[in-house]
Amino acid sequence: MSKKKKRKTKYRDIELNVMPFIDVFSLLNTFLLMSAVFLSVGVLEVQIPFLTSAPPEKKEEERSFDVKVDMEKDKIQVTGVWSKPPLNEQKRDFKVTKEDIAAMHKFMIELRRTAPDTDKVSFFTEDDVLWKDISNVLDAIKVRGPGDPVFAPKGATDVQKAIAAESIYPKVVMSSVML
Amino acid sequence: MASVSSESGETLSLNLMPMLDIFSILIVFLLMSYSTDPVSYDVNGGVELPESTTLSSLDELPAIKVTKTEILVNDRKVANIIGGDVEDKDKAQGAIQPVYDELKKLADANKRVLGGRVSEIDKVKMSTVTMEMDKNHRFKLMKRIMLSAQQADFIAFKLMVAKQSS
Repeated sequence: MSKKKKRKTKYRDIELNVMPFIDVFSLLNTFLLMSAVFLSVGVLEVQIPFLTSAPPEKKEEERSFDVKVDMEKDKIQVTGVWSKPPLNEQKRDFKVTKEDIAAMHKFMIELRRTAPDTDKVSFFTEDDVLWKDISNVLDAIKVRGPGDPVFAPKGATDVQKAIAAESIYPKVVMSSVML
Repeated sequence: MASVSSESGETLSLNLMPMLDIFSILIVFLLMSYSTDPVSYDVNGGVELPESTTLSSLDELPAIKVTKTEILVNDRKVANIIGGDVEDKDKAQGAIQPVYDELKKLADANKRVLGGRVSEIDKVKMSTVTMEMDKNHRFKLMKRIMLSAQQADFIAFKLMVAKQSS
């Protein structure tokens, strides 16, 4: 017991030297700040029409729902139409403004509800449209926002479910890209 | 606690604990945000990306970079951009000849590496190209690049965007 008491008295005045600790923290901070990437980069996936010399498949076409988006510098037209009668065409025009693009996103959801099996949009763009405006419209077509319904096909695989959780229309074909 | 003795014999002590607290929080934040994306990439200085709400992250480095003044394929400058379009000497049937040439080399190299045994996933990867493009370019230029890529058997594009912070 007496030995223990002596030890307590001996260590009472010892201070922790925090300087090496601060040195390490400073170096670590500098390294992390220099290597940090503050801009988070994402991607928007699109396709372009595929050219092939193979003859077209001869099969009886089923009645399908075609969705088309026509974009001009200050106007967007969205059309949904069945390939065989009754055509039940749904067409709406939007301006290239934040509010109208939000309204367009809602219309895209309505169209997908009309035909949940159609997951492809044909996207036509005029030459003078800016890429920043195109990206906003692609967002409205593709990206599923919080609270939006999930359109997963019946018997979907895990990959398809993951895609459906992220997108309204996952396949966008830039149909204007033709020779 | 760091301490210093003054001339009058007084001991001045500096309380380092708040600084340590700040350092700790900063390090925790930086470590948490460090390399969370599959690919960590610094955007080219000459490119301003458009903002997007997309959830898809970048998973490969861009092969095509379109800055305000030039087009680069695999970090090699192939064409100049003047007035939002390429020079007349580089245009060929709506496409851009030097871009096509470089992408064709890339497509051939991919085929050589993979050989004859190409799975469906490989086919999709081989026909996909990532592009980084300045947000103020017009679709006319994008179309030319896409046409060049189409001729070189690239039919899917990953267009780089800056994710909007929510």
